[in-house]
Amino acid sequence: MNSIDEFVAFVGDEVGLSVTADDIGRDLDQVDGWDSVLLLTLLSALERETGRPISLAAVLESPTLERIYTVAVGG
Amino acid sequence: MNGMDPRSTADDPPASTADELLALHRAGALVGRYPDVRALLTDLPGPALARAGQWLARLDPDEVLRAHPDTPTVTVAVTGNATLGPLAAPLTGELARHGLLARTLISDFNGYLADLSDPASDVYSADPDLVLAVLDAAVVFDQVTVPWRPEDVRHAFDTTLSLLEKLVIRFGETARGALVLNTIPLPRASAAQLVDHRGRARLGAIWRAANERLLRLADVHPFVVVLDLDTLIAEGIPVTDARLAMYAKARLSPELLARYAREIGHLARHVTGRTKKVLAVDLDDTVWGGLVGEDGVEGIEVADSYRGEAFQAFQQTLRQLAAQGVLLAAVSKNDLEPVRAALREHPRITVRENDFVRVVANWRPKHENLAELATDLNVGADSVVFVDDSPYERGLVRRELSDVAVVAVDGEPAHHVERLLRDGWFDVLQLTAEDRARPARYQDELARKDFLHSFDSLNDYLNELDVRVLLARAEESEIPRISQLTLRTNQFNLTTQRLQPADVRALADHPNGYVLAVHASDRFGDNGIVGAVLAHRERTDDGAELRIDNFLLSCRVFARGIEQATLAALLRHARDIGATAVTGEYRRTAKNDKVREFYPRAGFVTVTDDGATATFRHKTTDRAEIAAPPEHVRLTVRLARTGEDQQGDDGHEQH
Repeated sequence: MNSIDEFVAFVGDEVGLSVTADDIGRDLDQVDGWDSVLLLTLLSALERETGRPISLAAVLESPTLERIYTVAVGG
Repeated sequence: MNGMDPRSTADDPPASTADELLALHRAGALVGRYPDVRALLTDLPGPALARAGQWLARLDPDEVLRAHPDTPTVTVAVTGNATLGPLAAPLTGELARHGLLARTLISDFNGYLADLSDPASDVYSADPDLVLAVLDAAVVFDQVTVPWRPEDVRHAFDTTLSLLEKLVIRFGETARGALVLNTIPLPRASAAQLVDHRGRARLGAIWRAANERLLRLADVHPFVVVLDLDTLIAEGIPVTDARLAMYAKARLSPELLARYAREIGHLARHVTGRTKKVLAVDLDDTVWGGLVGEDGVEGIEVADSYRGEAFQAFQQTLRQLAAQGVLLAAVSKNDLEPVRAALREHPRITVRENDFVRVVANWRPKHENLAELATDLNVGADSVVFVDDSPYERGLVRRELSDVAVVAVDGEPAHHVERLLRDGWFDVLQLTAEDRARPARYQDELARKDFLHSFDSLNDYLNELDVRVLLARAEESEIPRISQLTLRTNQFNLTTQRLQPADVRALADHPNGYVLAVHASDRFGDNGIVGAVLAHRERTDDGAELRIDNFLLSCRVFARGIEQATLAALLRHARDIGATAVTGEYRRTAKNDKVREFYPRAGFVTVTDDGATATFRHKTTDRAEIAAPPEHVRLTVRLARTGEDQQGDDGHEQH
């Protein structure tokens, strides 16, 4: 996964939630249809995709999709 | 046929169907194309099915229903002692795989106590078809403080079970559907906190005794299902994902939830009357090793060798299923003679000709043979499961008869049994005596069909058939069979009200209620309980009426005068008890079109009809209006309750 745009498409394909580039900086509470269960699904999908473990605690503490992306790609 | 068939075009791991689904999802077309989703999901491997479940779980069921009003819907409430949200997607995916639209209601974390004890809870208010109370070991260990000993665990588990038993009783008093519990796996991370093996063994014994008590709830309460998770995790599925358990309180692993959801999919099939009835198997390289037409009867592998024993195990499984009411048929591309010879004469074969209700061996396309088999057995193609080792044959059947469930086996017979049983196609809540006798009855039925061909007219046939019908109040022991008729019967089912045994019993116990069993027999043998009438007496302004809530007849015995005889008896009974009319209802479904005219044909007047539901009425005040039962039927009627005045209609034969 090389760009935030790819990440946005990835979220749509893996958890079925259509998000836009506008959503990624939003507080997760403000993202339409978001719930914490999606986060768990997204985490396992990200680990599969990137081939490395990602801290669930860090993902759970992320306030935005953008932050999750950064955690996932090792930022 | 073996798996190396050069004509093979359609194979099983359908990468293309996963892509097609993804395209539908990306285009936002899953709602519009929902009727196609079932076929696309059929054979998706686990990860792809899980992903599709995510998409489907995000659709609005109401939107799907607006676009496709005939989609069968199952309401599933999920509660338990952990975070159960992750179950929604696999559940939705598995139900969609069976063509069912899931309406899921997921409770809050650890909500099961409130959900199941409060009759006004959201769970009960949703009137669910299935309630899943998913429990894990924390339900016990949350009550135990460190340091603990095995006896502390015993005490905590006992407390939990006593509570659960009360909740089950409350459920029985409050809800209509089935309650699904599960055995609770003992995590090694708990057991290993005891350093002594003796203590661990004691903990293991305590734990299993408690799980046994849990399993026995299903013996006592007919509406309870207890899934034995031990058998699922024995397949090699991890119980827990430590991080999800710790951080999200989602304590059962995604893999276990997916496997659990698969079991629930089949339960949902059952409670909506979609249990499979027929198991049709290929023979060469499926039931035995080798090609009987080429290798000869002596050359096929059925026992006594590595591969032979694998095929033997598969044959034993087929017999085991047939003994429980699954109708076993063989559909083979072969000449009939060598197939017959193998099934009759091979000294070491386990499955024999008389284990099958029909053996079809010819060179016609298998989908044609399967369609004909379904017609002859009077079931829909969607009641059939087909097993074949040839990708070609499977692909053809999938394309031409998409309602048939196709099970793939391959060149490794050691996997045949688990492939067949991986899906619980034939799962039911409980088995009845009728189930065990079913294959023999269907064999009689096919003999009747052959017998039919020797008569010039149907009437000659019916006169020779010597049909005897007994219409009587259902005995307590017959209530499971009556419930089962409401669950299994799709064609001759006037209103498709599916009733659990408790619902049937409630009606039977009601002073104005009628739960009537229709028993039939003929010169070929006893058919057992072939139908049911559910009715009640209701006061009206000018006296009383008999209202038929549902009328059901097994598809084996249509059109033999049994239904007309039963209706005539009901009309006479209504008149005898002073009721002024009998009323009945027809609610249209995808499968019961053939009984739309049932009441009008018997002289009922149509009162209302909006295309989906029609109501009918037959006055009983004038004796001459009531048609006599068909002449070829010998009818016996016992409608008085035990100990009641027999009211003149008991026990005598009516012609």
